[in-house]
Amino acid sequence: MTPGGWIFLLLSWGFILGLTVFCFWKVLRKKDDDRNRG
Amino acid sequence: MRQAWGSRLGVIMAVAGSALGLGNFLRFPVQAAQNGGGAFMIPYFVSLLLLGIPLMWIEWTLGRFGGGFEHSTAPGIFHNAWNKNRFIKYFGVIGIFGPLVIFIYYTYVESWLLAYSFFALSGKYFGAGTEMAMKSFLGGFQGLEKNAYFQNIGTAYFFFLITFILNVSVIFYGIRGGIERLCKFALPMLLIFAVIILLRVISLGTPDPARPEWSIGRGFGFLWNPDFSALGSAKTWLAAAGQIFFSLSVGIGVILTYASYLKKEDDVVLSGLTAVSTNEFAEVILGGSIIIPMAYAFFGPVNIHAIAQSGAFNLSFVTMPLIFEKIPWGALFAFLWFALLFLAGVTSSVSLAQPAVAFLEDEFNLDRRRAAWIFGLAAFVLCQPAIFGLSRGVVDELDFWGGTFCLVLFGTIEAVLFAWILGMDKAWEEIHSGAELRVPAVYKFIIKYITPLFLLAILGFWLVQEGLPTLLMKNVSPANRPVVLAVRLMLLAIFAGLAWSVRMAWRRRRGAEPPEVKP
Repeated sequence: MTPGGWIFLLLSWGFILGLTVFCFWKVLRKKDDDRNRG
Repeated sequence: MRQAWGSRLGVIMAVAGSALGLGNFLRFPVQAAQNGGGAFMIPYFVSLLLLGIPLMWIEWTLGRFGGGFEHSTAPGIFHNAWNKNRFIKYFGVIGIFGPLVIFIYYTYVESWLLAYSFFALSGKYFGAGTEMAMKSFLGGFQGLEKNAYFQNIGTAYFFFLITFILNVSVIFYGIRGGIERLCKFALPMLLIFAVIILLRVISLGTPDPARPEWSIGRGFGFLWNPDFSALGSAKTWLAAAGQIFFSLSVGIGVILTYASYLKKEDDVVLSGLTAVSTNEFAEVILGGSIIIPMAYAFFGPVNIHAIAQSGAFNLSFVTMPLIFEKIPWGALFAFLWFALLFLAGVTSSVSLAQPAVAFLEDEFNLDRRRAAWIFGLAAFVLCQPAIFGLSRGVVDELDFWGGTFCLVLFGTIEAVLFAWILGMDKAWEEIHSGAELRVPAVYKFIIKYITPLFLLAILGFWLVQEGLPTLLMKNVSPANRPVVLAVRLMLLAIFAGLAWSVRMAWRRRRGAEPPEVKP
């Protein structure tokens, strides 16, 4: 794979992984908050 | 009592499950490889930000808005969004018609995946070691030819019955007990299967040491090395927009229905974005790392171009089984591959059934089980032309109207209705009701101008490039034209029947309202 290929792969994967982790972290944190509030 | 989701994660899983399908694992890598490799990701992400995410938010918001009026399908939702306009509810019929049409052929295709999962474990196709033999196996299974593997369509029909009964059973148990429960199990399971296959793909390295250039690394290069010249072609941008549009399941009417079971104070911004990110994770990271690198490593740099152009069905049912025959524990990995596609299929097909069932429940006051029965009987009859007319182009025709034309048209109507008829100020307020994230202000402009214009451009380009030739049956053989014409008449009758049902439901509703008391 060329350096250009690596750049596109890493940027794309990074963006998607970042977005996925951020969204699920927010969703699951809210779930825990709700549970703690009882 | 109106149905409701059991948990927030449940609705996210259900929407992501609806979006996740064959397109993520088969269509995306082929589109990327054919349209500039890594450079394809530029128009892809532009389309995601300007088209996919805004449309996702529009559908979640419109759906929850409609649920507040006890409507779960587009006719009622559109009727309330456009201040009781008399005609807009008939445009909403597309939001029931489209998913129903997709359901009647998708279920059959889904049943092939279930069958191939069993064939993988039982080793039924393991004698077919060449592309021609594997195509013959598939043709025999589909009832298109008699051969050493199959004498008739009986096996395919048996698996169709199992798949169909499974789908209707899930619908029968409702949103919480059926769809949510299925998606909470199936979605993590299919992602785990895909990760296992991905790890196996990476570990394959160079399967044949005598051919060092036939490697997984070079396969990734084939998919990701950028060709910037492709960005100058309108075709690349259209392919990227189309991939985003079809992959996210927007423009079908399914997300409207799912979101209608939310409460007014439930968030739609973060939930919608989470469903999008799950779909993208499966598509770009998992889908992009399996089929093309594997095909490259086993068929080489010359054959990969023809394989990539051979279409999703060929990739899935011919190329992949051949590859799995060549690796250790191939039967197990083939089973995981077909099972993951089947799970992706079933989470999509139950979502396609729900708008029609919800319409019967909401507008005719039928209880859920009775609505599921009626839907099951009608859909079973409608599936038969797709099964027995496969060789005559019936599935292609259904896919054109239900899976392509209706999607783009319905998406355009939704975007215009949301931004221009409901009005951007009210729409913005609706989006942020209960929101846990603030949508960047630039999206006010994007949703109002860019998304509808983007959709109109896709609709226009698509009508010229594909719509008119298909409408005029340019690619249909003279022998198949009467069959295609009959399918069109059947679709027209379904649409007219649904429009008539909407008319009856509204009359009934008006009749049930108490008369106005004049002072």
